[in-house]
Amino acid sequence: MLRLSKTQIDRLGDRLRKGDITEADLRLLDDYRRSFGEAYELVVGAIRSELGLEPTGRPAKSTTSISEKLNRESIRLSQIQDIAGCRLVVPDILEQSRVIGLLAGLFTNTTTVDRREKPSHGYRAVHVIVRIEEKLVEVQVRSSLQHVWAELSEKLSDLVDPRIKYGGGDEWFVRFLQNTSNMILGLESGELQWIDRKKRVSLLLAKHGSDPERREKLLALQRRVQDIEKEETELRNELFQMLRHSLDTLPREEGGSDAISD
Amino acid sequence: MLFLIEYDRNQGEVVTIREYSSTDRQSAETARLDLELELNRRHQKREVVLLEAASEEALRKTHRRYFENLSQLVEAS
Repeated sequence: MLRLSKTQIDRLGDRLRKGDITEADLRLLDDYRRSFGEAYELVVGAIRSELGLEPTGRPAKSTTSISEKLNRESIRLSQIQDIAGCRLVVPDILEQSRVIGLLAGLFTNTTTVDRREKPSHGYRAVHVIVRIEEKLVEVQVRSSLQHVWAELSEKLSDLVDPRIKYGGGDEWFVRFLQNTSNMILGLESGELQWIDRKKRVSLLLAKHGSDPERREKLLALQRRVQDIEKEETELRNELFQMLRHSLDTLPREEGGSDAISD
Repeated sequence: MLFLIEYDRNQGEVVTIREYSSTDRQSAETARLDLELELNRRHQKREVVLLEAASEEALRKTHRRYFENLSQLVEAS
């Protein structure tokens, strides 16, 4: 494998940005991407063996995604942080925070980009970037609801307009994704509270359950938390109902992709 | 396991998917390059990506966009 200089990498990036990609460029890019192999294996291997988690790894970003990123942002190829990476999808936001803490403890050199409170064009997730010597490996940690939003945004970008996931394109899609992201933020804020309360009530019941007076009060509290949990589940179902309804009414251009109506 | 995916973004569909053992990453990466070179020669715009997951089922959960249509993506999970 060739060891490319930073200048060679960035010149390759300039050619990828222009779009006229030669065979020689594809081979060079392949060499560059393979140079992340060792760092990738170390990071993904440690997540599997030390944390017992099962991420889906992406040893190298696709050529299409690299070219698009170079065109979209004023960034050099050598500066792209997610050439290699992996993704973890966890059930809820509380588990997401736990996993982020584990990742920060597992690797010595990490940077955490938390897009949960400050989303990027509606995209909410946490990216933990691990540095292994001079190579970066991005670990995406998404809750299940954040994941639904991200996949939906990607799919609409594939089928309708690649600008959609970066807040561009038809206004309908921008509003639809923004509103959905806000609803998920609201749901997850509520989720955070009831999951935490549920745990605390269980702990208190285990500790003071033998005292009849305390037990009664704690059981009443437990029922209240269960009611909140039910309400949250209903809200979650309503969100999916709203999404299905919105997609039934999404704007279609004449002669547009048939794949949208699948 | 490693999965080499050729994806047609305009149609939102996987065109081909090939599996490799996780210990055979070199072959999978060579196959990825060969596929990219072939598509480039034919001037065909496809996304070619290599992913590693415990199983195809796990892959289908973390990368739903490749395998599901819009309606499937918004089914309550």
